[in-house]
Amino acid sequence: MTLDLSIITDNAGLFAQGAVATVYISVAAIISGLLIAFPVALLRLSPRRVMSWPAVAYVELFRNIPFIVMLSLFFYGLPFFGLRLQPMTTGIVALALFGSAYFAEIVRGAILSVPRGQMESARAIGMSYLRALREIIFPQMLRFFIPAATNTSISLVKESAVLATLSVAELTYQGLIVQGQTFAPFEVFLATATIYWGLTALLAAGFRTSERRLGGQAQRGFSSRHRLAARYLSLEPEPRS
Amino acid sequence: MDFSVEAALAALPALLRATGTNIAIAAAAMALALAGGILLTILRSLKIAPLNLVIGVVISFIRGTPVLIQIFLFYYGLPALGLQLDPLTAGICAIAFNSTIFISEIMRGGLADMDPGPVEAAIALGLKARAIWGKVVIPQLLLRILPPLVNEATIILKGTALLSVITVVELFRAAQQISATTFRPFETMLAAAAIILVLNVLVSQFGGMLERRLAVRRG
Amino acid sequence: MTAPPVLSVRGLRKSFGAMTAVAGVDLDVEAGEIVCIIGPSGCGKSTFLRCINYLERPDEGTVRIAGDYIGREPAAAGGTRLQSARQLDRMRPRVGLVFQQFHLWPHLSALENVARAPIRLRGVDRSEAEAQARALLARFGLAAKAGRMPADLSGGEKQRVAIARALAMKPELMLFDEPTSALDPEVVGDVLRLMKELAEEGMTMVVVTHELGFARKVADRIVFFDAGRIAEMGPPDELIDRPRSERLRLFLSHFQ
Repeated sequence: MTLDLSIITDNAGLFAQGAVATVYISVAAIISGLLIAFPVALLRLSPRRVMSWPAVAYVELFRNIPFIVMLSLFFYGLPFFGLRLQPMTTGIVALALFGSAYFAEIVRGAILSVPRGQMESARAIGMSYLRALREIIFPQMLRFFIPAATNTSISLVKESAVLATLSVAELTYQGLIVQGQTFAPFEVFLATATIYWGLTALLAAGFRTSERRLGGQAQRGFSSRHRLAARYLSLEPEPRS
Repeated sequence: MDFSVEAALAALPALLRATGTNIAIAAAAMALALAGGILLTILRSLKIAPLNLVIGVVISFIRGTPVLIQIFLFYYGLPALGLQLDPLTAGICAIAFNSTIFISEIMRGGLADMDPGPVEAAIALGLKARAIWGKVVIPQLLLRILPPLVNEATIILKGTALLSVITVVELFRAAQQISATTFRPFETMLAAAAIILVLNVLVSQFGGMLERRLAVRRG
Repeated sequence: MTAPPVLSVRGLRKSFGAMTAVAGVDLDVEAGEIVCIIGPSGCGKSTFLRCINYLERPDEGTVRIAGDYIGREPAAAGGTRLQSARQLDRMRPRVGLVFQQFHLWPHLSALENVARAPIRLRGVDRSEAEAQARALLARFGLAAKAGRMPADLSGGEKQRVAIARALAMKPELMLFDEPTSALDPEVVGDVLRLMKELAEEGMTMVVVTHELGFARKVADRIVFFDAGRIAEMGPPDELIDRPRSERLRLFLSHFQ
């Protein structure tokens, strides 16, 4: 078979609109998700049960319910609380909260990755808890935080496709529209996927740059001492000698 | 409109029945993905340059695109290549294929962290590649990557709800259908969410238990 | 009226679950006094030190720095109540703490490690704080290392920077938690010499240490901690040469 590229070029406008909406939704959800994640993570790290328990429940709820189900809970549930939002807004809110649960776990892990003595030496000299976090802990946790947060951000871009089920005119929805008009699902969904692919690659590249700026880690290669075992244990091409 | 607990409870039996489909899909997809993951990992270890290049592109594609689109490609797209699958089969294949890629990536990480000693010993003993993989590498690897595998299982289970979009009548689709007749979508969705939440927590707990068991046996 | 002791601890208790780390300690340290705390590992001496500035929150008891309560204060209704976080944060800079593992901030240069707290917490002008930090580092023989990151410093240098960091807040009392235990033997002397200089300048110090030689030479008083209590206390010669208890004799015999 051959790919009929005219299907893509003829509908480039719709794809572009969809891509823009997907970027908008993702960026909004990633930023607000990160902002919500910090207080959630701090609550979860609290030694007091009354503080940590709600945070644990929050995180576990979002991590154990599929986003497609969560989204429809928000869609049908928010009106119960007197909140009538546009599907797009509902989707962004749901995606942001969903992401915040994952981000919160990353923030928590990143804070815990910094040795305890760092917080202690900051507190001992008189810094408040929040100042110690900001000045001493956060700069040190980025190394751990950035790669993990990149993966979650990419997941959110991909998860945003589910907003199509609320007829939010993002990329997947536009793909379904074009597919309904052209009956060329293979071309349409391949094109849609390729756009997502490009978006997530862009996001990954952006984060990689910021990681390098902050002093990236050395790549851990397979030691040449274990050349033989590397035949089985390494999937990377063998180093040339 | 007031919240109706009765509506949520009334939906439970039908939802629970539909959940059987999710479990079956997840089990099938997990089995396929595990087998696929092992095969792909061995294939990658052969380090055939052009092949690994293609595999690399496929991995990047699967990791960089939504599962939802991958499901559409399997269900709506494959007929263009002359392969018509029913929704259930297409869905299982899409999820399994996606998971194969992620499991292979988990395995790559696990292999790099493994102790080279036993493998070197096996090579020194003159074991055949088949035996080294089957008797030395894979068993150790599976033990080592059990936690991320359990995590992958919960991801698969959550992913089964996406098959509703290609008309597979699983939990979420069933919830939509019930909502359409009872006009109680929120209550019904809440019941569905509760079911899958419990199921996921059970899988995680079971994984944790298995891990402790094996840790004891190893220790 | 005489000035209150720089450190005054009353009835201090701290347990971790079923394990009692500090079992009721009273201790006064006068201005300019050097008190060394010795004792077997796990006897609660480090925990006691960390309770003084509430890095560990004691279960009972009070601590006063030059007469001012830190962490817990008498309540109007009788008994005591915990101070607010803000009150505690205001009190803490009056006590400098030096850790066994230094705990320098690895993302900041030696200079910034020393200057950061005065700038942020005291509102000191950056140029003034940096000048003061440079002077401190120079005094400790680290003038050339001001721009270095902690990862590029040796253990002895790190500990000297850590001491400078604590001193930059102009504390009334310095606490040292086994400051030389993590150091290579050849640089232990440098750090001890520096501490001796501080002592001679009149700094009030409480030092948890295994360096009996240092304790004998520098301390005004030695406290022998055992099972969370002050088991014996006295001037170095008396305590080291004429131990009264069998426990202390046994402990000292390990250093012969």
